[in-house]
Amino acid sequence: MRYSFFRGCFIPVRLPHIEILAKKLLPELGVELSPVEGFTCCPEPIGFTVNHPLTGLAVSARNLSLAEEQGHDIITLCNGCTYTLKQANETLKSDLELRNKVNKLLSETGHQYKGTVEVRHFAEVLVETVGLDKVKKKAETPLEGLKVASHTGCHLLSPPEVMGFDDPQVPVKLDLMMEAIGATALDYSHKTQCCGWTLSNYGDRNASYTLLGDKLRAMRSAGADSVNVICPQCLNQFDTGQMMAGRALKLGFKLPALFYLQYLALAMGYSLDEVGYKRHRVKDPGFEEKLGRILA
Amino acid sequence: MVINTRYSARTFHGLEEAAEICLKCGVCCVIEGYGCPAQYDGQFTPRHTYVYDCLGHDDPTANPNIWQCVSCHKCEEMCPYEVSPIAFIEAMKVWALEEGHAPDSIIGEIEQVVNTGYAFPLTANTERQRQQLGLEPIRANEDLRSLAEGTGLLELLGRYRR
Repeated sequence: MRYSFFRGCFIPVRLPHIEILAKKLLPELGVELSPVEGFTCCPEPIGFTVNHPLTGLAVSARNLSLAEEQGHDIITLCNGCTYTLKQANETLKSDLELRNKVNKLLSETGHQYKGTVEVRHFAEVLVETVGLDKVKKKAETPLEGLKVASHTGCHLLSPPEVMGFDDPQVPVKLDLMMEAIGATALDYSHKTQCCGWTLSNYGDRNASYTLLGDKLRAMRSAGADSVNVICPQCLNQFDTGQMMAGRALKLGFKLPALFYLQYLALAMGYSLDEVGYKRHRVKDPGFEEKLGRILA
Repeated sequence: MVINTRYSARTFHGLEEAAEICLKCGVCCVIEGYGCPAQYDGQFTPRHTYVYDCLGHDDPTANPNIWQCVSCHKCEEMCPYEVSPIAFIEAMKVWALEEGHAPDSIIGEIEQVVNTGYAFPLTANTERQRQQLGLEPIRANEDLRSLAEGTGLLELLGRYRR
């Protein structure tokens, strides 16, 4: 299976170690990535698309048309990109008047939207197309005994009729993904609460720390060794955001947060150094020691 | 819910009717662990929720609180009467941008996307880190300016900068 690789903005600009892991690991699971010259920001949903919907739609249509020209569905690494592109695709497929309007704007750039590709988050591809049995077979050093609290993130869950990934109120897919690589998936209160990244970026930073503090305490009470995310903004919030919130709220503990591809890499024989853990701000010796014992 | 007149006079997909059946139960904002993130701001209470603040404001588009909404859809998922506060708040943001009320964080990001094709600044540090990891450099893309010109966004941004 081959996809047009939509790496987004946040990963190449701020988290390049995740870009590298995607390029190394996904092909090993049979997911081939075609680079696309000219992909731009999706565009970012809350700062851009919500506020000027027509331009947002035109930029999304341009990105979708580049994948159409290549002839592959899009694979993303980010909830925000998936949220923007799936909604734009849905709108442009169903509203012909709007599609014509957008195509008129696009003609300036030499592209046309036709509605021939789909948009998939990499988690969706792993669960639904690759299959977790195959993921399990690849996990030669399963993370047995590691207790992980997963956070799916708002924009991959809602609106469910468009996103179609998991139940927004009772999400379980990430837990199944963690179990496939041998870890223990934890249930915890505040599981579906937002990470607070968007609130921190455009709204009240202190409110976002309070929110994140509640969420981290709930994960900690459930016995978590670490946090699992599948969205770069969520990763940033659970890492850099946690460092700031930890200071502001005097949290007194640290819960390292890793992107699912980092856990997958560890289960496939990579070391913590090789998955870019050193680049993270929140590190915990207890977690490192436990993981060391599991991987030994 | 008392919807501001000027605001309810605008038509979009019949949502005004939906808002009129709001019971003011507050569920959209007060569910612990599954609620509105913006409600975490200390100025809101169960009697004066974030959603009431946005939908009942005298001058809705000038209310700086509308920019706190993160579009997580929790409010519309929790509402027992299918009112969709997110749709109203997002519509307010559109009008607020047109009317010159958008904050710098929003204008800065929109300009960043239009001018470079990326929502986050491409710094020398970014390039250095990519180079260290053996990744190719990021190239800014200028195609989006022509799209933004066609939709009137460039002209709107110009008004903000004047």
